[in-house]
Amino acid sequence: MSDTAYFLRLALLLVLQILLLNLFNFSQYLTIFFLPAAILCVPVRRGGIYALAVAFIAGFLTDFFADGMLGLVTCALLPVGYARTWILRWIFGPDFFERGEELSYRRLGFWPVLLALVLATLLFMLIYVWADGAGTRPFWFNLVRVLLSTLVSTALSLFTVSLFTPERQ
Amino acid sequence: MTRGKETGNLILTAAVFILMEVAALVLLSRSATLQNIWINRFSHRVMAMNWRAEENIRGHFRLREQNEQLAAENFALREELRRYQAMDRLEEEQEHLAATKGRFTYIPATVVKMSRNNLHNYIILNKGSEDGVRPYSGIISEQGVVGVVQAVGKRYSYGLTLMNSFLSVSARIGRNGLVAPLVWDGVSTHRAYLKGIPPHVEIPEGETVYTSGFSFVFPPDIPIAVTQGVSREDGATNSIAVRLLQDFSSLRYVTIAQNPSRAQIAELEQRQEKEEES
Repeated sequence: MSDTAYFLRLALLLVLQILLLNLFNFSQYLTIFFLPAAILCVPVRRGGIYALAVAFIAGFLTDFFADGMLGLVTCALLPVGYARTWILRWIFGPDFFERGEELSYRRLGFWPVLLALVLATLLFMLIYVWADGAGTRPFWFNLVRVLLSTLVSTALSLFTVSLFTPERQ
Repeated sequence: MTRGKETGNLILTAAVFILMEVAALVLLSRSATLQNIWINRFSHRVMAMNWRAEENIRGHFRLREQNEQLAAENFALREELRRYQAMDRLEEEQEHLAATKGRFTYIPATVVKMSRNNLHNYIILNKGSEDGVRPYSGIISEQGVVGVVQAVGKRYSYGLTLMNSFLSVSARIGRNGLVAPLVWDGVSTHRAYLKGIPPHVEIPEGETVYTSGFSFVFPPDIPIAVTQGVSREDGATNSIAVRLLQDFSSLRYVTIAQNPSRAQIAELEQRQEKEEES
């Protein structure tokens, strides 16, 4: 996938994410984010610093336009950008980046991609919920919120991956 | 990609990540009060951990210095222990003296004058009859026997030291050994003889000689000398050379030991002698 195609899709996702955060408030236990999946789908030929830059910009724009605290999403999304290389290497093998493959259900299999999505989303949610609570909320509340949000966000992220790799399907 | 380049890339990525994350945390702490407090608390905790780790590392490198300090302190403590042990020994000796207190009284005194170069050496002490000193009292020090008080003035006493050929002290070899009179050799500052030792008695060298307690002048078991060798005195008896324990050149403080029953014993002896004469 070219950088332009990626950024167009990312911009669309950002708009959807901001609208979702501003217009829909489902429950205090549920926060939906599909940006971690978008960071996981950064073109494979690009390095870690590129993914970090994308995560920072995407997080900052979301924070800025959504009704939240400035820096919260950025703070949670950056570790996903940093861990992206490790997650993909661990699940798809050490030569994944050398092969230059894109994240695709057809080529890599549904379950490995789902595992990568779960790990990325879980990492994001752990930091997001932890920082959002700032040590004031009970552990069980945070745990339920992390698990529920990860479950729903991962389900939505499955479509996000499809959006980023349409030509392969 | 070479291994070195890959490592460099990893470090660079990690550094960029840390920088961006710090920037995000700064943004977050400035936009919300609760998060600001939380981040500050967290950063303080991290700083405390860093200081502790730093202190641990510094402490590790200070171990050598601390070990040296401990060794010096250990040495000082051992010295102190030795001093206390010496004090204990002294106390034991004093307790021994106290055990004879029923029969003897003790008066501390200072040496005012003492001769050492004559055949009949003497000593003058700063205690006299006003202090309760009476003639024929023993003079001792922490090293051993010094002499006998011969005459007493109001404030001063005159005594004969062991370095006086007129003086003879009843002595015992060892705690339970032979009793014999001890007299100075008339020449040396540290040599005396035990007279009248039967030839069949073997006296080992290095045996301590104590006061016998068979006189009313000295309490028993006050050390006097150490045996050195045997010499033939006449055909019937031997003399044993002894090295005096008392160093007269450094003598300054003494104790006067006197027997309160001395007059009563003397009177008893005189009465018995008169009865025998009649």
